[in-house]
Amino acid sequence: MGIKSFSRARAIHVMLVYTGGCNGCDIEIVNSILSPRFDAEQYNVFLTWNPREADVLVVTGPVTHLNRKPLEAIYEAIPNPKLVVAAGSCALMGGVYKNCYGDIQSEEIEGPVENIIPVNAKIPGCAVRPQDVLAGVVSLLPTLLDAD
Amino acid sequence: MFENTIITSVLAVIVTVLVCFVISTLLPGIERKYIHARIQQRIGPIVIAPGIMAPIKFMFKENVEISSPVPKLYKSLPIICFIAVLCILISLTPQAYKIPALASLVAIVGFLKVEEICYVLMGALSKSVMSVRMPFPDQIKGAVHNNSNRSFVEDISARRSLRMITYGSFPLYLALFAPVTAARSIFLPDIVAYQQAHGPFLFTVAGGIAAIVFFIGYMIILNEYPFSIIKAKSDVIEGPYMEYAAKYRAVVYLTRGFFMFVLGAIFSVLFIGIPPNILSWGILVNIAVALIFVFMMGIFSAFSPVFTNRQLLPTILGATLLGVLSIVIGLL
Amino acid sequence: MDEKVPRSNIIETEIPMGTVHPAALEPYRVRFFVEDEIVQEAEITIGVNHRGIERIMEGLPVEKANALTEKICGICSNSHIWNSCRTAEIGLNIEIPERATYIRVIMGELERLHSHFLYLAHGCEVLSHETFSMRVFYLREIVMELLAMIGGNRVQYGCSVLGGVRPRCDLDEAKLLRLKNDMDAVEEGLTGFVERFLADSVVQSRITGIGVLPQKQAIELAVTGPTLRATGVARDLRTTMFEYDNFDYNVITQPDGDVRSNLVMRALESFESIKIIRQAIANIPEGKVVNKDWEMFDTDLIESYIEVPRGTLYHSYALESGRVRHCVIRTPSMANIGAMQYACIGDQITDAQLCIVQCDPCFTCTDRAIEIIRR
Repeated sequence: MGIKSFSRARAIHVMLVYTGGCNGCDIEIVNSILSPRFDAEQYNVFLTWNPREADVLVVTGPVTHLNRKPLEAIYEAIPNPKLVVAAGSCALMGGVYKNCYGDIQSEEIEGPVENIIPVNAKIPGCAVRPQDVLAGVVSLLPTLLDAD
Repeated sequence: MFENTIITSVLAVIVTVLVCFVISTLLPGIERKYIHARIQQRIGPIVIAPGIMAPIKFMFKENVEISSPVPKLYKSLPIICFIAVLCILISLTPQAYKIPALASLVAIVGFLKVEEICYVLMGALSKSVMSVRMPFPDQIKGAVHNNSNRSFVEDISARRSLRMITYGSFPLYLALFAPVTAARSIFLPDIVAYQQAHGPFLFTVAGGIAAIVFFIGYMIILNEYPFSIIKAKSDVIEGPYMEYAAKYRAVVYLTRGFFMFVLGAIFSVLFIGIPPNILSWGILVNIAVALIFVFMMGIFSAFSPVFTNRQLLPTILGATLLGVLSIVIGLL
Repeated sequence: MDEKVPRSNIIETEIPMGTVHPAALEPYRVRFFVEDEIVQEAEITIGVNHRGIERIMEGLPVEKANALTEKICGICSNSHIWNSCRTAEIGLNIEIPERATYIRVIMGELERLHSHFLYLAHGCEVLSHETFSMRVFYLREIVMELLAMIGGNRVQYGCSVLGGVRPRCDLDEAKLLRLKNDMDAVEEGLTGFVERFLADSVVQSRITGIGVLPQKQAIELAVTGPTLRATGVARDLRTTMFEYDNFDYNVITQPDGDVRSNLVMRALESFESIKIIRQAIANIPEGKVVNKDWEMFDTDLIESYIEVPRGTLYHSYALESGRVRHCVIRTPSMANIGAMQYACIGDQITDAQLCIVQCDPCFTCTDRAIEIIRR
């Protein structure tokens, strides 16, 4: 294992972008990092709010119209190698907002995150459980370690 | 023989700097894991992660195009800061005492000033995507003030850094000049010699008060909570460092740990009289002082919120008055 | 001071923040118009979260529509489904068994607890006091586990159904005992935290006198809930709700209307919630938890107001052949967030973020469709 993969496995910066969901997943993700009970920092996963510092982008929420361009701008701002994790059923398939309707379908959802930026890992759940979030981020590591 | 002495001196300085640098990469991790995480009742990262693993990881990231009006200047600023801290460490080593201009308090103050001015420039030159450049329809029909002048969050940070230079640097500078009252000279060899003869300045009344003022100045110049207004996460996100990516961010991270160590070394020279000398046991005292400072800073910062201008002014004023008091007592 | 007015003529620069920002856990956009770091005017833009919920509810069978309302918000999910079921129950004259009422009250108060703890933790995070924030998150975990035990999920528990409560959410002896013990643990932890918080003079100096909303202006701007009670007005809709008739609790108010009043307000309300839950555990009657004997018929517009952790929640819809028509949901945050544009005037930018957080905004709840199409 070279110094590159050694260091990448021991310092991972995660940035959270919320694109208009019900906020349940965001609270659970913040819970998994800021709560001493789950403590993502023990796995050397640090939370950052600056795209220039991030390696992994965690996206929650079905992307609403006004959130599409900010999501793309933040994704562009992250330097390579970067990975995207889509967390929650809204990010995976639009959740209830896109798929559930009576007489009129909602026109506000730009669709699952896959339609807008490439996704590397998917965490299901409504809302995701903190244990699943940690497992999801940690499972991405092998892809990250040897990328250019 | 003359060349021999110069070569040994230069080698000694290089080895000292390397040893200090390596130890300084552990300091941010020690603060995060053994102090903050323990106080917050959780496990925390491994000790080497924030200090050295993160910078190495950043070095292997892609060099993105930085959004700044003068990118070359912005990119060079962290390197200038690192060199300033390096020069402070070199001027503290006993081998540098042969260069009076370097081994004096004026030089140390000068290098610290370079550091502070860099914060202002960084803030003014960083134009990140997180505020004005976020693609959002702001100035549209129905909004207020459609043609207002828009600022980035880093501009607020630059203004705050300027304010910190104006009154926030007083405590540290007053504490730096306190030992001069005892040793009657601004040159480091004289201060060290005085303390080797009369005992550490720290154990006098003036020294004790000045040590407290030094600690407050230490927290201010490192932008650590509670004095981290220029990079408060709740409004300016990261302040001056927003646009740094890859190699330059690695330098920013390394400078932080290194600066923590070097400030501890300054304290050790001015208040205890033991310079960082690889050829004697003095280096261990320097390391111990750096660790003690990191411990104290970690405990203080874990238990306080960010100070806004309302709390900063009285605190810094109080520290300045204490500093003046210590100088007055020293002169008597 | 009677009223806070924006001063538009001395603006030096505008500082926009959002849609992603560490101080905000939901996407919104705020533009601060400042002069030397003091906010003279603020403009908050909502609508970033608009997902068209009222539109997709149009024509859904009523039980499905009730379950859908829970997804409006992840923090106040139980409030929405409770009120939505309550609306249909009022319109169709469905009698809910008493045991179901007690369980709904327990879930409502547990949600109030977890919401207020999240608010305290987020407030401390915006103050940049990580340690306090972590302590409250740790305490909140006890409540989350209770919610998961009763409802089956930590977020969005789907407790209320039309006619009562889902049978899975019934409370047997073991669950009641666990509730009782955990309430003791929560009360102990909360008391310790509140004492430590109020004794810390540095934190108090950060929050006292910041973000003051004058009482008269708060009433004019239609602020509701704890934000209104923090300015001194004792208005709590729980006193008019029939579900709370058998419970004994105090309506808490605070005098100043600043950030400190809001924080202390919600901490004290949490103690009252614990009191209500204890009474519910002690007095819960036996019986069924759901009433399935009711008839569906067409109704005109039915309205229901309840008190949720953030204020007054309003649901209304009409029923036609068992389907929902013309649904309107109006959350308390709509007025509260608007009022915060005035509350942050006169404070510095770092404090202004705190001012917006002080009303416990739930932007996801708030983004509704504004136009009602009537036939």
